[in-house]
Amino acid sequence: MTPLLATEHLTMRFGGVVAVDDVSFTVNAGELRCLIGPNGAGKSTLFKCLTGQLRPSAGRILWRGRDITGWDSFAIARLGIGIKTQVPSLFDGLSVLESVRLALRRETRERARIQAMATLDRLGIADLALRQVALLAHGQRQLVEFAMVVAPEPEIIILDEPTAGMSAEETARAARLIRELNAQHAIIVVEHDMKFIRAIAKTVTVLHQGRVLIEDDVERVLADRRVHDVYLGKAVAPQQQVTV
Amino acid sequence: MRSAFEIIAAIIVALAAMFMLPRILELFALINATVYVSMAVLALSLALVWGFGGILCFGQAAFFGLGGYAYAVAAINFADTTLAVPVALAVPALVAAALGYVMFFGRISDVYMGAITLTLTLILFNFVNSTAGDQWRIGAAPLGGFNGIPATPPLNFPGDPGNPLPPETIFLVAVFALLLCYILAKLTLRSRFGRICVAIRENERRAELLGYDVRFYKLGIFTLGAAMAGLAGMLFANCVFVSPTMFSLFYSGQIIIWVMVGGLGTLIGPVIGAILLNLLTTWAGTLPDINPSLILGVVLVLAVLMVPKGVLPSLTGGLGRLRPGSGAR
Repeated sequence: MTPLLATEHLTMRFGGVVAVDDVSFTVNAGELRCLIGPNGAGKSTLFKCLTGQLRPSAGRILWRGRDITGWDSFAIARLGIGIKTQVPSLFDGLSVLESVRLALRRETRERARIQAMATLDRLGIADLALRQVALLAHGQRQLVEFAMVVAPEPEIIILDEPTAGMSAEETARAARLIRELNAQHAIIVVEHDMKFIRAIAKTVTVLHQGRVLIEDDVERVLADRRVHDVYLGKAVAPQQQVTV
Repeated sequence: MRSAFEIIAAIIVALAAMFMLPRILELFALINATVYVSMAVLALSLALVWGFGGILCFGQAAFFGLGGYAYAVAAINFADTTLAVPVALAVPALVAAALGYVMFFGRISDVYMGAITLTLTLILFNFVNSTAGDQWRIGAAPLGGFNGIPATPPLNFPGDPGNPLPPETIFLVAVFALLLCYILAKLTLRSRFGRICVAIRENERRAELLGYDVRFYKLGIFTLGAAMAGLAGMLFANCVFVSPTMFSLFYSGQIIIWVMVGGLGTLIGPVIGAILLNLLTTWAGTLPDINPSLILGVVLVLAVLMVPKGVLPSLTGGLGRLRPGSGAR
């Protein structure tokens, strides 16, 4: 079976710095994949390459086997890839309902309205529909962005640090939400919060210094000696590196 | 529907102006009023591009001047103004489309966009200023350098070149054009295209991540604004005549002041701002020892300090832009 999304030897250099170094990984339909790593591991750069915000220096990105390397963000979004950025990216001057309607790009006005309301309902924020986005609390804003990402029923959702700036309770709710969404969408979560990963993950890919350190089941990854070392800042001996 | 109500209100005000003003104003004042109406169209064009497209264009005067010159040159060459009007809209629109294509598809950042549009104005200003002499002519129309084209013909009845419109009728045409532009802008903002433009103004990255090709929408509203500025230039050319001052920094700066004082993110605010500030500067021009630009500057500073959202949103108190889901007033 062709994977939904795959990278092949993806590399991103900034001058002499190699932020993402020969990363190859695949995500299948329905999968929930966590991409973790300490600060500077190349997570955000990889996220930006996958979402078309950066053009990789080398390697390929494949969508159902089709080469989409270097495509613009809007074209990647049109494939059915929902993208949530780290800092909530919202239409502050618009209402919640109008924002979600805009996310339903292909629907007619009336159908977009109905579907938008259904999505808000599903996320439990239907009562906020007519509120202005700028006036909402942080947790509500996160949910509004989730609603915008989920509304058009993307085949895969890519989330960049979805719990950044969230309280413990909000994080628990986000974990629940992500597991629920996973019933219908494949999901890639880019994170560094280990507790959150433990709460949601099945398969985890660990990045370190731009390379894939290990990719395995969550329990085995979290038990791995090298992963602990990386998170505690110890150097990893080169011979121990595993490139998947 | 609030929007429908506002359009009806605008129609009533326009009809009242068309009926009353020619009866109470002397000819000279009526021609001045026509100039103000052309300025109002110009302000409306920037209100659309900047207030709703989020594109700070310092070069709206360039499209204003291009519209005026295109009209004058075409009217002289055709010896009839019927086709000169669409030319006055098409030339600035085409220039804007070409320039916008380079800017938006080249992903030039907002700061440079301001610099580029301002530079376009300066280039045109200097170029047109240096077109004195017989070698500078387009067909039968001499460009006239610093003096402009004093022989700019006034509009004639469509298809009847021997029958030029009197200034009273040109005033009616100008008010009607302003009304049409307002309604067009209103309908644009209510349309899918307009709603997406507003979303892009709010957050370009988000719009892109939702699958919208941002460049296309920006180019669209930029070009529409340029055509509208060209129409303003054509109306202006009918009251005065075209000259390089249409491209000057004085106009580029003023348009921005009208929009800021009137209310960025509204349509009618900049229209009112343009008319009131023109009345103010004209009146200030009659005062001894006071430079009207100084007064304009004071008004801008006061407006920015006291009503940063512009006069109209502050007066209506509702902060139209902040009202959820609303497009514009």
